[in-house]
Amino acid sequence: MTIATLFILLFLAIFLGMPIAFALGFSSVTTILLFSNDSLGSIAIKLFEAVSHHYTLLAIPFFILSSAFLSTGGVARRLINFATDVVGHVKGGLAMASVMACMLFAAVSGSSPATVAAIGSITIAGMVRQGYPQSYAAGAIANAGTLGILIPPSIVMLVYSAATEVSAAKMFMAGLIPGLLMGGILMVAIYVSARYMKLPAQPFPGFGQLFRSGGKALAGLLLILLVLGTIYGGVASPTEAAAIAAIYAWLVAVVGYRDMGPLKDDPWKRPGESLGGALARSLWQVPLAIVGSFTNREVRGVVLDGAKVSMMLLFIIANAMLFAHVLTTERIPHHIAEVIVSWGLPAWGFLIVVNLLLLAAGNFMEPSAILLIMAPILFPIAMQLGIDPIHLGIIMVVNMEIGMLTPPVGLNLFVTAGITGRSIGWVIKACLPWLCLLLGFLILITYVPAISLWLPNLLS
Amino acid sequence: MIVRWLNKLEETIFCALLVAMVFLVCVEVFYRFVLAQGISWAQEGSLYLSGWFVLFGVSWGVKHGAHIGVDVLVKKLPRGGRRIVTLIALAVCLTYCTLILVGSYQYLQLTHMIGIELQDIPIPKWQATLILPVGMALLILRFLELGWRVIKGDTDSFGFSDEGQESMRLAEQRDPEDYDKEGRP
Repeated sequence: MTIATLFILLFLAIFLGMPIAFALGFSSVTTILLFSNDSLGSIAIKLFEAVSHHYTLLAIPFFILSSAFLSTGGVARRLINFATDVVGHVKGGLAMASVMACMLFAAVSGSSPATVAAIGSITIAGMVRQGYPQSYAAGAIANAGTLGILIPPSIVMLVYSAATEVSAAKMFMAGLIPGLLMGGILMVAIYVSARYMKLPAQPFPGFGQLFRSGGKALAGLLLILLVLGTIYGGVASPTEAAAIAAIYAWLVAVVGYRDMGPLKDDPWKRPGESLGGALARSLWQVPLAIVGSFTNREVRGVVLDGAKVSMMLLFIIANAMLFAHVLTTERIPHHIAEVIVSWGLPAWGFLIVVNLLLLAAGNFMEPSAILLIMAPILFPIAMQLGIDPIHLGIIMVVNMEIGMLTPPVGLNLFVTAGITGRSIGWVIKACLPWLCLLLGFLILITYVPAISLWLPNLLS
Repeated sequence: MIVRWLNKLEETIFCALLVAMVFLVCVEVFYRFVLAQGISWAQEGSLYLSGWFVLFGVSWGVKHGAHIGVDVLVKKLPRGGRRIVTLIALAVCLTYCTLILVGSYQYLQLTHMIGIELQDIPIPKWQATLILPVGMALLILRFLELGWRVIKGDTDSFGFSDEGQESMRLAEQRDPEDYDKEGRP
């Protein structure tokens, strides 16, 4: 009865078109009032505590802010140039470079659709110009873009750890190898098909050029090292690493890259300026720019964007915690787990069910929302079946990746259609061969836990 | 004029709260590692900043269509039906906000009576939690405003944020002509 009320109200509210946060909150509050003795006051304070008593949750707004600073066209361009210089000289090199650029940009920005838009709008046209079929280029980019939520730092992983209280640091470490593996699989597939399709290679640009473009991309890439380094060096918790990353990203965007802010379009060294002159100019310009960026319109716009996304996500999480509270006090997952165990469903069978359920949910909801609703239900069941919590998290994240590529809500499909000017149907067809790779990868991740667990176990 | 100014003020306040959170956490790390002495109130401070940030901002999100939701089904309805469904959904949202508002009032009254303070910061707890009723009241205002716009026929849905649409901004900055022969931008 309680279960039915909770879920019927939730889905009714969601399909009425209510914002997910309010749908979660309303269904939970109503269920609590109807079926338990909790007072309204205790519910209200639970909502407040959800956003003001979880230190790890603060990592979410901080990472969103840092990615807002570095999700710019300028950063995408630098990463693409670097990736092209690294792998461009191999057969099918431009496509491989695009995949590599997607992985790097995804790691910095943490958002899949943003990765497809920023990298795809440059590289798809570039590949077509080089004689690649457009559908080949578009499919590769749309798929590589999904790696954003698997390669750390990832906001979806933080949401999973918020929902299940699994260590975010361990989740980040667990995502690294699967992320690199999937990127590797895509690149091998490109190399094989490029040999077969006789796709062109670039001339090798020489080590000088490689180091130059590497240097330019480095400032952005250092963010990943900074985050992982401070967390695993024991200097900072994920929250603190995220705050440092936000400050670092701000300084790189405003002072280093000058993509925005008071120093925009004013290079470190103006043409014809002597080195000493440039240094002297920086000496007063840089502190001025740091102070000036607080009133700068562009910088404020980026902060507003980051704040907007963070507030909405944190409010959903707060309400999802009420929802999870109802689930645990009513012991709903526990009951489901008992039923499943009494069926004699083995762990691998349960994981198939999990995959199917998440793939279906991924078709019409946004990744963070799905995780917040499904994780509190699936997590206790998985624990009883002896599945590792971190492994479950990675499975869920890979499922969410696939959800980005399946209609009707697959965000990457829409973005790819937008940047290529083709129809959704065309994009779906273009993605299909690559999607099969991703599905194969999901099976691999699901049934070989060592891929996800080896690194976190090694480090702990 | 005043409305635009208030809007700007609202944005400035929650952006400032976010920036303050970032700096507070960073300064704490600096103190702990460089000066070998942490700031005792930093963690609680940043957590309460986060609470104020979120609860102050959600009402702004209603006005600016920043919330996330599923509108696949609602979009399929004819315009009249869509308006009715949206009004029902708004009524449910209002119920929720009112319930939390009443609950927070009860809780605040209780903590005010007992007179407890925060753990590390000498501020009465009811003052630190004040944003909960304030945020809910602001939400109610925004939902009523949205409801009025739906009744007048200016809009017929919540207007959810679309991450895909927003990402396109990153793509629109370029046109496909600025690549050289090697496909470099």
